[in-house]
Amino acid sequence: MTAALQVVDVVQEYPGVRALKGVSLDLEPGQVLGLVGENGAGKSTLIRVLGGIEQPVSGQVLVRGTARTFRSSAESQAAGISVVSQEFRLVPQLSVADNVYLGHELTGAGVVDRGTTRDRTAGLLAQLGLDLDPDRPVSSLTVGDRQMVEIARALSREFDVLIMDEPTAALNGAETTRLHEIVRRIAAQGKAVVYVSHHLDEIFAICDDVAVLRDGALVAHAPTRELDEARLVEHMLGRKPQTFERASAAASTGEKRLEVVGLRVPGVAEPFDLTVRGGEIVGLAGLVGSGRTELTRALFGDLPSAGEIRVDGRSVRLSRPRDAVRAGVFMLSEDRKGEGILPHLDVTENAMVSRDRSGLSLLRRLLPVPSDERAQFSRLRSDMRIRVPHGRQLIGNLSGGNQQKVLLGRALLSGCSVLLLNEPTRGVDVGAKVDIYQLVKQLADAGVAVVVSSSDAPELAAITDRCAVYFAGRRVAELHGRDVTEDNIVGASVGQVAAAAPVGGPTDATPGGPTAEASHV
Amino acid sequence: MSDTTLESTADLVADERARSAEAARRADARRRLLQNAGVLVPFVLVLVVGVAAVPNFASGSNITNVLVNAAILAIVGYGMTLVIAVRGIDLSVGSAQALAACIAAASVNAAGPVVGAVAGIAVGAGLGLVNGLVVTRLRVPGFVATLSTMSVYRGLVLLFTGGAPIMIASAGFKDVATASLVGIPVPFLVAVVLGAGAWFALDRMRFGKHVVAVGGSPEAAVDTGISVSRVVLASYLAAGAAAGVGGVLLASQLGVVNGSVSSGLELQAIAIVVLGGTSMAGGRPRIVGTFVAALLLSMINSGLNLLNVPSFYQYVALGALLVFALSIDGAQRAAVRRMLEGRLS
Repeated sequence: MTAALQVVDVVQEYPGVRALKGVSLDLEPGQVLGLVGENGAGKSTLIRVLGGIEQPVSGQVLVRGTARTFRSSAESQAAGISVVSQEFRLVPQLSVADNVYLGHELTGAGVVDRGTTRDRTAGLLAQLGLDLDPDRPVSSLTVGDRQMVEIARALSREFDVLIMDEPTAALNGAETTRLHEIVRRIAAQGKAVVYVSHHLDEIFAICDDVAVLRDGALVAHAPTRELDEARLVEHMLGRKPQTFERASAAASTGEKRLEVVGLRVPGVAEPFDLTVRGGEIVGLAGLVGSGRTELTRALFGDLPSAGEIRVDGRSVRLSRPRDAVRAGVFMLSEDRKGEGILPHLDVTENAMVSRDRSGLSLLRRLLPVPSDERAQFSRLRSDMRIRVPHGRQLIGNLSGGNQQKVLLGRALLSGCSVLLLNEPTRGVDVGAKVDIYQLVKQLADAGVAVVVSSSDAPELAAITDRCAVYFAGRRVAELHGRDVTEDNIVGASVGQVAAAAPVGGPTDATPGGPTAEASHV
Repeated sequence: MSDTTLESTADLVADERARSAEAARRADARRRLLQNAGVLVPFVLVLVVGVAAVPNFASGSNITNVLVNAAILAIVGYGMTLVIAVRGIDLSVGSAQALAACIAAASVNAAGPVVGAVAGIAVGAGLGLVNGLVVTRLRVPGFVATLSTMSVYRGLVLLFTGGAPIMIASAGFKDVATASLVGIPVPFLVAVVLGAGAWFALDRMRFGKHVVAVGGSPEAAVDTGISVSRVVLASYLAAGAAAGVGGVLLASQLGVVNGSVSSGLELQAIAIVVLGGTSMAGGRPRIVGTFVAALLLSMINSGLNLLNVPSFYQYVALGALLVFALSIDGAQRAAVRRMLEGRLS
């Protein structure tokens, strides 16, 4: 039997990163292959290569034994590969039916056959168990329904290989079950399915085989029945999950600097409570889409929210980032290039831009003294070990780690009492990472309340005193002190704790609530 | 974990979904209302005020005048609608129309009305193709690309005419703009037919779906295998061709054309497109709105003329209209954004 799909030694590189280091995979007709790995392991890159969105640096993709080069997604689709992408790739202005058949419209002489399009879409939606009017514009759909429309689109094409990239991230339990049935039916028809998921129970429920990617390389490929969850996590992490003993952090007795009570944020299922004392570092863990990014953005006034936020005991209303900065809340965005640095300004200007000027005279506020700023910056440079030759260096030319240090300096000079860090070491090399962790600890020791939102579990384990784990908009675990380990965080974020011991109902998840006994060893 | 917890969670999720779907529907309805009211309310207002307060506004000759002017504007507006729907803009329509009109006029004198009309439309299409190639192949943003070609085309038409007006000798050609069929001016009928065609192509044909996809979500268009550059190229080409058709009708209406006709047309075209409800953010072409807004602008101009308001004020009125249209567009987008991010009461 010819393999439905063969991936041979595919290498993909981005500037400075080898995203795929020679991955080879075979897929038989009728097979459901689970593809797992941590964030950044290369799953999405592999899918983009198979979908024709990216062209690999080297390596081959064979469909039914013939080598194919995909220069566009149209060519990949023509070869019989259908992809359900992780991001929503729907056109909000078009109707559900138009979106499903976009790119392969049912037409006669260029005129869309609306009746057939609508009927077939209705059929596909019924198959997915979705009660949805095909004429409704996609802009009016919920996230879950959009996901189903995306799946319906993939099913509407002629395909031999179906690739689903986290199709259930936005689905509820019943929808997930129905999707699994459909996947099994498709496989029974002799088509091959690649199923990417962070939910390990899903992998065990429907996949025949599992392939594990780590750091761009295929580290395991085995039939599912030969594996259990612990072994799979071991492959994902690259080592045996271990209980990591750490001296319990001294109970923080600092002043309450940030108190959040019942904060409701769109996209997050349950109200959010959080208290952070000065000197504390609290982590927010969870997969992409688990709601933690929305929470930090809401705390920075970047998303509308309702509920009570108190900074240093004062109740504040944060309707835009300016309010937050004035209230003493500062955030470093996960998108450092887009939302962090001011690329055409030098490092001194970048560090000084949010500086707390309230102690200065009016004249000094309007006309900053260059020598004063230079002195401030050179102090910052030595304190934070920023590697720049001089203060006039453009920030855009620095490495990611040095840029982040300058931004931490900006936060320090803003005199904030609460610092929100979103993916603080994304795109930062290993050496600079340690420096940044030390700086964050220094900031905390200076009395700042720090909240770190990160998808990097080792990072959270290394620096946080407490860690709340989010899963699909709900807090599924709250880890304290020595329970904050990489294994516990990874375990909880792939839903293991959620399945084994949920932390109460949707409204019962206050800090200091029950500590999840998260362990999969 | 008990089953009851699971069920109540599922209920909560279902409730949440129903609520957000309802909110989304409401936001959509609000957007539609703004979209339609944005052009219909001023249209009715101007019509009523014009008929009631402006002398000769409802006279036969003025109505013909308004309809012919609106027709030429609307045809150019259809092309602009397409370009704006794919997140582009075409500032060169005025210059392109002038060049098309002058070449049409010269060709009419040299080879007859039919050749002249075809030449004018072909010139417009060719200039649109150039715009499209500059945007898609040279990757120059549409705004800058067409700002540049606006100047280039204007230079070409002044070189072509040598600064002198071109008189059209053919009476048959000049009659087209003034002739009427069952009492309706021919240019207006042309505008209605072209508008119906454009509406059909955008709403019912594959091409239209691709235009909306490219303007609404270019990433989605790429992922579904649509060639974004081909759709963008076709849109600029259509805008040029529309300017060409407008140029031929203008030459017929005026009888004498020179190198400086249609200057400032781009602003009028953008104004009617946006006023008609086409979003500057792309993905929402509204041909019918463009047509109604063309009538509105033509009525405003004619009303101001009849009231002997100095033409300088017409510039002021046009600018104010554009700001009004853009603020409506902004309000629409805010409604959509609130809908997407969710609302908290």
